[in-house]
Amino acid sequence: MLKRIYSSNANGDMEDFFPVRPECQELVPKTRFKPKVGKTLSERRWNAAFDKEGHLDIAGVLRRIQRGGIHPSIKGVVWEFLLGCYDPNSTSEERGALRAKRREQYASWKEECKKMAPIVGSGKFVMSPIVNDDGKPIEDTGMELADSDADSDKKVTQWKQSLHQIGLDVVRTDRSLVYYENEANQAKLWDVLAIYTWVDDDIGYVQGMNDICSPMVILLEEEADAFWCFEHAMRRVRENFRSNATSMGVQSQLSILSQVMRVVDPKLHQHLEGLDGGEYLFAIRMLMVLFRREFSFVDALYLWEVMWAMEYNPNMFAHYASNGSNEVVVTTKLSKKMLQQYGKYERKNVKNGRTDQKSLLAVFLVAGVLETKNKKLLNEAKGLDDVAQIMGDITGSLDAKKALSEALKIHKKYLNKARIPES
Amino acid sequence: MAAYRADDDYDYLFKVVLIGDSGVGKSNLLSRFTRNEFSLESKSTIGVEFATRSIRVDEKIIKAQIWDTAGQERYRAITSAYYRGAVGALIVYDTTRHVTFENVERWLKELRDHSDSNIVIMLVGNKADLRHLRAVSTEDAKTFAEKENTYFMETSALEAMNVEDSFTEVLTQIYHVVSRKALDIGNDPGALPKGQTINVGSKDDVSAVKKVGCCSS
Repeated sequence: MLKRIYSSNANGDMEDFFPVRPECQELVPKTRFKPKVGKTLSERRWNAAFDKEGHLDIAGVLRRIQRGGIHPSIKGVVWEFLLGCYDPNSTSEERGALRAKRREQYASWKEECKKMAPIVGSGKFVMSPIVNDDGKPIEDTGMELADSDADSDKKVTQWKQSLHQIGLDVVRTDRSLVYYENEANQAKLWDVLAIYTWVDDDIGYVQGMNDICSPMVILLEEEADAFWCFEHAMRRVRENFRSNATSMGVQSQLSILSQVMRVVDPKLHQHLEGLDGGEYLFAIRMLMVLFRREFSFVDALYLWEVMWAMEYNPNMFAHYASNGSNEVVVTTKLSKKMLQQYGKYERKNVKNGRTDQKSLLAVFLVAGVLETKNKKLLNEAKGLDDVAQIMGDITGSLDAKKALSEALKIHKKYLNKARIPES
Repeated sequence: MAAYRADDDYDYLFKVVLIGDSGVGKSNLLSRFTRNEFSLESKSTIGVEFATRSIRVDEKIIKAQIWDTAGQERYRAITSAYYRGAVGALIVYDTTRHVTFENVERWLKELRDHSDSNIVIMLVGNKADLRHLRAVSTEDAKTFAEKENTYFMETSALEAMNVEDSFTEVLTQIYHVVSRKALDIGNDPGALPKGQTINVGSKDDVSAVKKVGCCSS
């Protein structure tokens, strides 16, 4: 488990859980989140939410998280449920078996990768290319390359070509945290990303995945568990990372943002369009790394968990287990009890029959941020650079909870106004 | 914000892009030039970020709008959109990693495919302070720059070496291109109506904006 230093203060200091290097204190945004008694999901509350067999009262847990987030001591295990790694209706025993199976699967993928690049799992990693453009090994990397016939394989080459990029990003990930002063921890992050890249070769490695993966690596001690938690988080955002020569997946979220803004604030949308900003490219980073750069480490985690709780759909696990083939369509009217197992945001979508709005709270979050800057943008933005500047100024000044409630408001407004979908 | 508004007082607005492989120090070059800051803790750039700074050339105030881009190829579809309208570019490589220098050719092609033909380009070899790790010789880079007809400078964002000079040189050269262009079309730059756009090339994008008779309080 995480190294914990309990302070006498009931709120606890977040820095005890995720210590920041003393020389970096000045550089990182200040953390606003504080666990609140009676609001934040505590370890005690969490344990009490399971019955004897281990079925989880997800409705109660969601209520808590949406009110005050999760205490840092249990973030990792709770996230696994929020992200749909486990079914709250399963027993502890069933989950234990699933966890063991997943760890085995991870170990076997890791073994595959190790055969292609022995540095995997060695506690070290690379930052310079190990193969050239043609997939031929580059000599002076100081590492031994296993040669096999499979090397000619395009998939293998592509994977090898991404390894140094992962390394270049790993050393630049959350390095203000004491945690990453340890090379073994950097290597853990690198391994998880390298193996993810191998498994999800359709998307591969794209800069920004490191920002999504890092908290999982810190929160979940077992590397395989961290991998699966990350892999489930990626299921929600991986399309953003899909890229080809002419476009990037995130642009489809940007166009939804554009659509939302046109409906909820046509004046601001028009103004931005006039500045050639109607494509909302300046919002890319917020959507790709889910506001990690706008918040402190702890606040970003808080934002994520509240967001995931709000987006929670009780059918997620079944949907994932069916490999996505079993798109859960709600045909019958849901009982009140059933509806309580949905997060606030998702419940609205279900009630309105908007299954197309899945995992899009982040888009409404950006819309919310734009709205809070509405006046400034209208009055002061005379070019795209002004827009970028105004949006950049929010770093460290956003309140996660306020931002999310603003996002929900805009979502509601959008659903009301967009009843008859515009073409 | 007062500091932010004061920035508005300029004669020319030049858009410049910073490109080059991942981890060569583009973001730190930018922060060194615009805020005189260097961070050992800097993170990778996602998509595009930007900063501005105004400098004085020939009694004119030139506002540089500098766009910093993600180095990974996978972001190219997004970042290349920002080449449009750029009148200057710094292609950055890392003097301690030869592969980043080899890739300059690719960046040049990329840039020439997507930007104006008159764009002012400077090749920048960053991290020159790491003398013991040097992997690209100054001579090689100079030869390459001459062959490709670009400007060249070695810099250290960490030691603030040549950073000021490299940006200033690019901006000055753009200014020369722009004022020459204005003369070519028989126009005294001072006689242009307020806000008129001067194109350094054939494209219509608003890139180098000349502001005349601006509130110079």
